[in-house]
Amino acid sequence: MPVEELSDGIFRISIDGREMLATRNLMPGISVYGERLIVEDDVEYRQWDPTRSKLGAMVLKNFEIPLHYDSAVLYLGAASGTTVSHVSDILRDGLVYAVEFSPRTMRDLLQLCDQRPNIIPILADANRPQSYAHIVEKVDVIFQDVAQPNQAEIAAVNSKYFLEPHGHLMLSIKSRSIDSVANPRRIFKEEVQKLESGFDVEFEVLQRKELDPFHEDHLGLVARMFVDEEDEK
Amino acid sequence: MQESGQDVRLKDFDLRQAAFDCGYVELDEEYDILLRDVCIKAAKSRISSNDTDDTRIIQAVQALDDIDRNVNELSERLLEWYGTYFPELELTGEPLARFVSSFGSRANVPESHQMFVKASTSMGSELSFADEEMLKIFALNLCSLYDTRRHIESYIVTAMGSLAPNLSDIAGALLGARLISMAGSLQKLASFPSSTVQVIGAHRALFKHLRGNTPSPKHGIIFNNVIIKNAPWWQRGKLARAFAAKISLAARTDFYSGERDPTIKEALDKKLNAVRTANPSAPKRDTKPHGKAGGRGKSRNKKGGRR
Repeated sequence: MPVEELSDGIFRISIDGREMLATRNLMPGISVYGERLIVEDDVEYRQWDPTRSKLGAMVLKNFEIPLHYDSAVLYLGAASGTTVSHVSDILRDGLVYAVEFSPRTMRDLLQLCDQRPNIIPILADANRPQSYAHIVEKVDVIFQDVAQPNQAEIAAVNSKYFLEPHGHLMLSIKSRSIDSVANPRRIFKEEVQKLESGFDVEFEVLQRKELDPFHEDHLGLVARMFVDEEDEK
Repeated sequence: MQESGQDVRLKDFDLRQAAFDCGYVELDEEYDILLRDVCIKAAKSRISSNDTDDTRIIQAVQALDDIDRNVNELSERLLEWYGTYFPELELTGEPLARFVSSFGSRANVPESHQMFVKASTSMGSELSFADEEMLKIFALNLCSLYDTRRHIESYIVTAMGSLAPNLSDIAGALLGARLISMAGSLQKLASFPSSTVQVIGAHRALFKHLRGNTPSPKHGIIFNNVIIKNAPWWQRGKLARAFAAKISLAARTDFYSGERDPTIKEALDKKLNAVRTANPSAPKRDTKPHGKAGGRGKSRNKKGGRR
């Protein structure tokens, strides 16, 4: 069996004895950033390069990916849309809000949005969720890849605004952008601690793993928002 | 578009509900499609309004760097290539390019030209017609790059004169433009502390210093100004600090008021002279910046890294 579905919408394809990660192309015939298109049983897939995508690396690192066909996702740090395009593939019946701060990279992202109906682009600073609170509704998953020194805080604030109770947070932490000289291990530990108890939203960390060899000094992390039982009543 | 133009919103404001209530849309799908269209339009309009004077200057500065890189490479190639035909010609860079593009073969050098004797006695090989045409075109292209470079330079001087007159006064238009380019924008440059301005462009030295065993850099890109470049080494750190302070001041004046303020320049000159007269001769040993001023120990480093 050359095609195996690892998780909703994420496939492993073997061709000529080589295995590659892929998503099912939502817009058949269009390659977004020069990636290879593979047709198998009349279905077109797009190759997914884990060295260019933190999410792709997380898949190969055996993370349990909480994305489903109909999920709503808030993607912070969308950049030029390499990973966003794959997320958009996965969320066939879902929606992704792509937040990006830099107008230069937003330019590339917009070309992608023009093609794909399930991406909503937002040119805004992820530090200030109130500036896009009127656009974004509750989401099942927040994916964050912002490489900012206050990453954990950004994740917490956005979760408070937009994440469903028990929703998932997926995080890529880049130690170099928090402190360029300190030991990455120590930084990862501090960031995880901050997430677990540093803010008024609490998270239960489900999985954490470093993303090497695909990305140096990056930690991948999946957490679930922790909701007090009493609060729910 | 208006909806996303506004920043401040109540957290609980429900845009979807509001759109229904106003009868603006009737179905959820309608709202979804509309939202996407509006978001794309809003992002596009904000991107097109993002082209400001400083982004233009930054592009120009970077184009200048690109041209320099290419010109160096190409002129070295021309030197090697043409050297086989006329090794005695001691021209390099732009004069060489101009020479080759106007004469081609050394047989074409007129008697009145100062290179005539060398050209007629050269040990270089003969240049065939095809090769000559080729080299002339190559050299012509190089000449046009030199022209473009001058054109961009004068563009920067003009643009800086209107965007940042004080910065141009203090640092010079090109250095000022370079500082804006490295800071990212005039606003960012204006908001930097002057100690940062002092070491912009010395990132490697700065991070090496922060890791712990080298002296701090005394100057980054501002070294390119004659004030520092031509100063003796023991004054450079002090001058750089004074210079950076006035650059900050100038950038802030430019960004926030936009009016020319000649007093900054006067104050700078006064300060520079004070530094120069206070430090007329080299201090005794120990703190010479070259070599291993820092050594390994932490406490010695601090001394070694005097500014």
